[in-house]
Amino acid sequence: MALTGDLSTFNFVDIFQVLAKDKRSGILIVEWQDMTIAYYVKEGEIVFARPVDRVFRVYAERDFDTLIDKLRISKENLPKTIERFLINKLGSKEGVFSFTPGFIRYNSDIPVNYPIEKLIMIASRTLTPEEVERKISDELLTFEKSQDYMEKVRKAELTKEEEKVLTLVDGEKSVMDIRRESGLDNLTVDRALYGLLALSAIKRKRKEKKQKPSITLELLAKIIERIKEL
Amino acid sequence: MKPIKKIKIVVAGPFAAGKTQFINTVSEIKTVKTERRTQAVGERSVKDYTTVAMDFGKIRIDDEHELYLFGTPGQSRFDFMWEILGEGALGIIILVDSTDPSTFHEARKIINFFQSRFPVPMVVGANKQDLPNAWSPEDVRIALDIDEEEGIPVIPVSAIDKESVKSALLTLLNLIKEELLR
Repeated sequence: MALTGDLSTFNFVDIFQVLAKDKRSGILIVEWQDMTIAYYVKEGEIVFARPVDRVFRVYAERDFDTLIDKLRISKENLPKTIERFLINKLGSKEGVFSFTPGFIRYNSDIPVNYPIEKLIMIASRTLTPEEVERKISDELLTFEKSQDYMEKVRKAELTKEEEKVLTLVDGEKSVMDIRRESGLDNLTVDRALYGLLALSAIKRKRKEKKQKPSITLELLAKIIERIKEL
Repeated sequence: MKPIKKIKIVVAGPFAAGKTQFINTVSEIKTVKTERRTQAVGERSVKDYTTVAMDFGKIRIDDEHELYLFGTPGQSRFDFMWEILGEGALGIIILVDSTDPSTFHEARKIINFFQSRFPVPMVVGANKQDLPNAWSPEDVRIALDIDEEEGIPVIPVSAIDKESVKSALLTLLNLIKEELLR
């Protein structure tokens, strides 16, 4: 199923989060007013980027090795396409994207110089206050580190500020506490939290206390039967 | 005559997620709507009318009990109504328009709102699955940052289809049952 959306409401951090989570492969196409770029995704990693004049051209070749042969690009030079056509676009707030899973076949190893974790953090550093507010919407929110957070941040190349924020995430401190204790400005803290959340290095602290439902099992069974009958 | 006891389920979600339709599809009474013409330009291009206080549908359980379905207004400027409607709810269904990722962040905020105030069982319905460009429930789950440990199932829903709405309600009721048996 294709994923489509608009960068103004679903930014690169959000897109990468979806691609990275299940290690998707496919082609991400982003259409800006002045250009369209196809990003080739292998198991959640962006391995190649190229501008295209017509979107349908992207679907003319299914084999990745054949494609880069035709384009006369060596595997060693693939990371340069990421630098040229992705890194400086990560802060872009306009444009339409669509991700088509599958389609392209990757038959050999491809170097990954820009791991998706690193791209997520680079993109998170460009978020506006309005964007961070979408996820860090409440200063009373509490986060905790994921079990495998070390693994997640290993490739992310965190800045000193981001590391500081990560250190303060302990399942007890709220966003407000982290902002205060870090001594950093709010936007830097919120961007770091947004990025770390997208990396799955941290997660929202689950409320332990669940309200016991105020209903008897007998009545509940009756409701279930009634709904089935509708 | 014995007074009727009311059991409440809340249907929440962002603007134009399909909450009114969801209730309409299973309610035994004509849904009571509190709609007004949309005013904001962005909203007007999506639909002409929007819920401003609540939607209300009803399913009779037996002679003594009725299941009330309350739909909340989608816009956060009406969040005072979320507070009122959430009080005493047995469970909450959050509907999300799977074809419109621009509303996913708003959906997460709504989940946070209800989680922090009313920690009752919750199900997310990835609505409009009948439309061709709908995101899959799994992708919606990732986009909403719903961790598996949160215990919030994200299920496919098509609010115009009665069986689909019933399935969403049954998922929530079974979750409530699990809580009771815990």
